[in-house]
Amino acid sequence: MSERRTIESTLAHSTLTGSNASHDYRPVAVMPDVRVVKIGGQSIMDRGRAALFPILDEIIEARKRGIQVVVLVGGGTRARHIYAIASELEMPTGVIATLGKYIPMQNARMVQMLLAKHGGLYILPDDFEKLPLYLQLGCVPVMSGMPPFGYWEKREEGSRIPPHRTDAGVFLSCEFLGARRAIFIKDEDGLYTDDPKKTPSATHIPRITAKELRERNLPDVVVERVVVDYLPRARWCKELQIVNGLKPGQVLAALEGKDVGTIISA
Amino acid sequence: MNKLVGGDGRTHIESRLMRESLQNKQVLSGTESDRDVQIFPDVSMVSIGGQSIFDRGKDAILPLVAELAEVKKRHKMVIGVGGGTRVRHTMSVAMDLGLPTGGIAQLVGAMEELNAILLNALLAPHGSMPMQRDHFWDLPLYFDAGITPIAISVPPFHFWEPPPLEGAVPMHGSDFGLFQMAEVLGFKQIIFVKDQDGLYDRDPALHADAKKYGRVTLEELIAHPPKENILDEELYRTWAEAKNIKRIVIVNGLKQGELTKALDGEDVGTVITKGGAR
Repeated sequence: MSERRTIESTLAHSTLTGSNASHDYRPVAVMPDVRVVKIGGQSIMDRGRAALFPILDEIIEARKRGIQVVVLVGGGTRARHIYAIASELEMPTGVIATLGKYIPMQNARMVQMLLAKHGGLYILPDDFEKLPLYLQLGCVPVMSGMPPFGYWEKREEGSRIPPHRTDAGVFLSCEFLGARRAIFIKDEDGLYTDDPKKTPSATHIPRITAKELRERNLPDVVVERVVVDYLPRARWCKELQIVNGLKPGQVLAALEGKDVGTIISA
Repeated sequence: MNKLVGGDGRTHIESRLMRESLQNKQVLSGTESDRDVQIFPDVSMVSIGGQSIFDRGKDAILPLVAELAEVKKRHKMVIGVGGGTRVRHTMSVAMDLGLPTGGIAQLVGAMEELNAILLNALLAPHGSMPMQRDHFWDLPLYFDAGITPIAISVPPFHFWEPPPLEGAVPMHGSDFGLFQMAEVLGFKQIIFVKDQDGLYDRDPALHADAKKYGRVTLEELIAHPPKENILDEELYRTWAEAKNIKRIVIVNGLKQGELTKALDGEDVGTVITKGGAR
């Protein structure tokens, strides 16, 4: 029987089954100056014009000031509706994650139509390779925040809902691009000790580490849990910033790199 | 009829998850049950090793193709392939360049695809076709027509590959990708075709006293993992949370007939089961 024909390399004899690659790894940032910002689905898009238009004005203003912005968009109530029905039908998580791609896509297309006259450009997940051109032309690329995992989304213990949704997509986009901070535009000032919409006594947390956040084991958090889990082992994206898009000036401040809302750090 | 609900500035569609935070543990557990629908329960996933089979060339590949051509007449299966040494070379160069994990993940799938094209060129006269990424809903058509699909094995995480637990190598490779495809579609079993008689407690090429597992449970392997593993760790982690797949078989593709026996449901090589399944 003929032998394995192997190309010699530092990983040639590795099984790659674990994290055994002892390699001199000095990572490079792909596009570190880009600001990746998410427009929430339920928190912003489902509110319509009243909430969305002032946010878009601030994004356009940031772009005029030379800040490179990539906009990702969330799903919202239509996503919840299909998740509820699919869960009742005992659909596997991978099927539910696939269904979950469509609504953020609709929302991203809506945002693109509104931003078109200011350079809004609808892009697909694989279009990251064209970002340098788009941004140099002064465009505002807009895409769905849902990661492209689809049927390959893993199940999480005790739930059928895909653990990687549009917050994860924003974080993972930042991590690939080498951006330091992922910005999430929601309808709250950031992180609270409980859901402020249901528990009025909940108090605001301006700054917290991922470790502290996990230790608190809150019944509810403002960003997807996987993102908080990934943060400590990220190479580039070391901070999540959650800002209130309903308060004028917050989005522009965040895009200019100011500490507003809540900052969760690695 | 569904109602639109307003009153808090947002427009909701009435549903059980309406207004709910999908981070809330109680809300999440309300979506759970003890089963997932099984979409294709009579189909087996067959994964053919990159290093173990394809990198050996003609002597290893042609007899296996002959066996597949024969056994595909009796069994519904989807075939996936690994990328082998070219994947390792890609990663080694990419890591030296300092490319991000997501960038490495975007690159490697191309190397698996080369093996898929080769396999399809050999198996096409007997009825095979490359399957587009997630065109699963074509599967009934494929099987009715006697066509065995060859799937893309690396999952589409690409630029979005999550940060690995350690190091920079992407955690979601072809073993995971094929497992997840079989799991989400509710396949009967997964068969990994390698160049060893099964799973050993350590590398049998280096240790003469390495012990082969005959039948073993996933629970045992997680509690006492073998020193060296021929399947990705991520596969075991994912399988532990999964609902559908109950049986994974590892067979020696260099020995004629082993794959056929595994497809026929015989216990050959190493049989890993989960949750008390046969």
